[in-house]
Amino acid sequence: MSLPPTSVLIQVAIGGLLTGGVYALLVSGLTLIFGVMRVINIAHGAFLVLSAYLAYWLFTLLGMDPIVSIAVLAPLFFVFGVLVQRYLIARVRQEPGLLVLVTFALAITLEGVMGSLWRTTGRSVRTAYTGEVVPLALGDLTVRLPIVQLVGFAAAVIALGVLYLLLTRSDLGRAIRATIQNPDAAQLVGVNVALVRALTFGAALASVAAGGAVFSLIWTFNASSHEAWISKMLSIVVLGGMGSLPGALVGALIIGVAEAVAAVTITTYLSPIVSYLILFFILVFRPQGLLGSRIREA
Amino acid sequence: MLPHLTRRWPVYAVLALLAYPWIWRAPYFHLLGFDTLLGATMAVSWNIMGGYTGYKSLGHSAFFGLGAYLVAIAANRWGWNPLWSAPLLALVVVAVALLLGWIMLRTTGSAFVIATIALLLIFRLLALNLRGITGGAPGLSQPLPPWSPEFSRLPFFYYMLIWTLVAVAVSAFIVRSRFGLGLLAIRDDEGKAEMVGVNTTLYKVLAFGLSAYFVGLGGGIWSYFQTHISPVFAFDLRIGVDMILMTMLGGLGTVWGPVLGAFILIPARDFILFRFGATQIHLAISGALMLAIILFLPRGILPTLQEWLERRRAPASAFVGARLMTELRDESAATASTPPGDPHSRVRPAPR
Repeated sequence: MSLPPTSVLIQVAIGGLLTGGVYALLVSGLTLIFGVMRVINIAHGAFLVLSAYLAYWLFTLLGMDPIVSIAVLAPLFFVFGVLVQRYLIARVRQEPGLLVLVTFALAITLEGVMGSLWRTTGRSVRTAYTGEVVPLALGDLTVRLPIVQLVGFAAAVIALGVLYLLLTRSDLGRAIRATIQNPDAAQLVGVNVALVRALTFGAALASVAAGGAVFSLIWTFNASSHEAWISKMLSIVVLGGMGSLPGALVGALIIGVAEAVAAVTITTYLSPIVSYLILFFILVFRPQGLLGSRIREA
Repeated sequence: MLPHLTRRWPVYAVLALLAYPWIWRAPYFHLLGFDTLLGATMAVSWNIMGGYTGYKSLGHSAFFGLGAYLVAIAANRWGWNPLWSAPLLALVVVAVALLLGWIMLRTTGSAFVIATIALLLIFRLLALNLRGITGGAPGLSQPLPPWSPEFSRLPFFYYMLIWTLVAVAVSAFIVRSRFGLGLLAIRDDEGKAEMVGVNTTLYKVLAFGLSAYFVGLGGGIWSYFQTHISPVFAFDLRIGVDMILMTMLGGLGTVWGPVLGAFILIPARDFILFRFGATQIHLAISGALMLAIILFLPRGILPTLQEWLERRRAPASAFVGARLMTELRDESAATASTPPGDPHSRVRPAPR
């Protein structure tokens, strides 16, 4: 294994940071759901791919830019999320092993439906600016950044900003944070915890809808892509600490860079193993991750 | 119920299975029979961990694939006949599972479930990339069975039947043993089990290793049956999903539940595949079925049926009297070795 030259490494690391920003958007809902209701939503990757498909069709049929389609997809997925939480998650015996199976079953149901509707062809949105790069001069080094990466990163930053404001400045945000800290106490002081849970699930799916639209710009996907993506997303939130939003951000940036560097130092084929190994060993040896607190389930 | 029929039904069932390939002689039915028995064996095995101990692994296909690859590699390199190497190499799978279980079983609840998925993904990625050993994405072929092709599925069917019976016997033996009692205690309340002196870590690791045995064995036999294996099919998440589905449908934590589940699910799935043709629809139906089972039949067919029968037969007596009766019946039944069901349903408040 020989190290590529430093200029390549810098280029790759900056690309990795941009990707990491998008990752942060993809996983924010996942960690929020876990924080509020102790549910690991395995279907998160499937929702991501579903949103990417819808963005793809909006683009192909109506010519709507994926970034614009967020305005359509986010409210739609919000409603979807509230319904899923109310009529599925809340109805099952609240036992961690069982809840994971529910979201897993939801994931493969979605995969099967998407696979039969849209076959297995890899899809990706190709806009007018796909493939364009912006040169960025850093001293005597010029880093070339793909526009889709920059657009995706900007959209992710804005969406995460909205989520942050929602959590810190609104009554709902306060209620969500109270429920994360202690559901029983929140209930006691008058928070409608059942409602908060449903709305959180909605907000989480709205964020993954935004993520899916960005996703469709940058990556190629088909129905079964969600398997690889949910494992990557899980390794990010597990690394950062389940339930912690700042943790998710840190985890996303670390994995984004680590993966990009691994792709040029190991091989592209074997590079996903980095995130799988992180997932496995963090779960086993440091279940609270980097920034999370040790959480007792059930 | 009819006591003679209930006591002897396994014998009749085995006789029926022995006769099955001669009644339905088309190769398709032999294939279906083999698939069903393979599924039943693996579900029974998964149930030792997922049902008795309550740790639901989504990654048991890792052991399936490992067994399949070990058998194929041994057949190619050293000419080992899979029929005897599969049960032997499944012991290697157990050793791997014991080691991994010892590492993984520090986790509980959903963290364990996720760790098992990660495990499967790591195994699949290794199988795809260690080309010198596994042949990479194209996979490995191995020598064909020596018997004639049109006959070829029959020996597999009977061989698998033997192992299904062994797996059920092992599972039944475990649930009646002290070890099994410890596993059930862990499922019900791990903290209390630890407190009353169950070595929970040891028990969990042993159960995990044991539950990998018949899955690895199934993988080995399947690998010979297929003669060609590749990472995508050997380390398929759906194989593990099927084990869970079959067990949960028939009855989680019961001896016969996983078998019943397999005998319903695999023919039904074959029918769906035959009818609709697309594997994607099959996936959607599997998922929807899993949701339906969890929502509407969370304990599975056998325990629900058993409870329903008991409720029908229970006399409408006062609470104390009815409970005494249940206990008395259990005692007399225990000496005559009852079919073990869900221990919860044994002593329960009488229906009004």
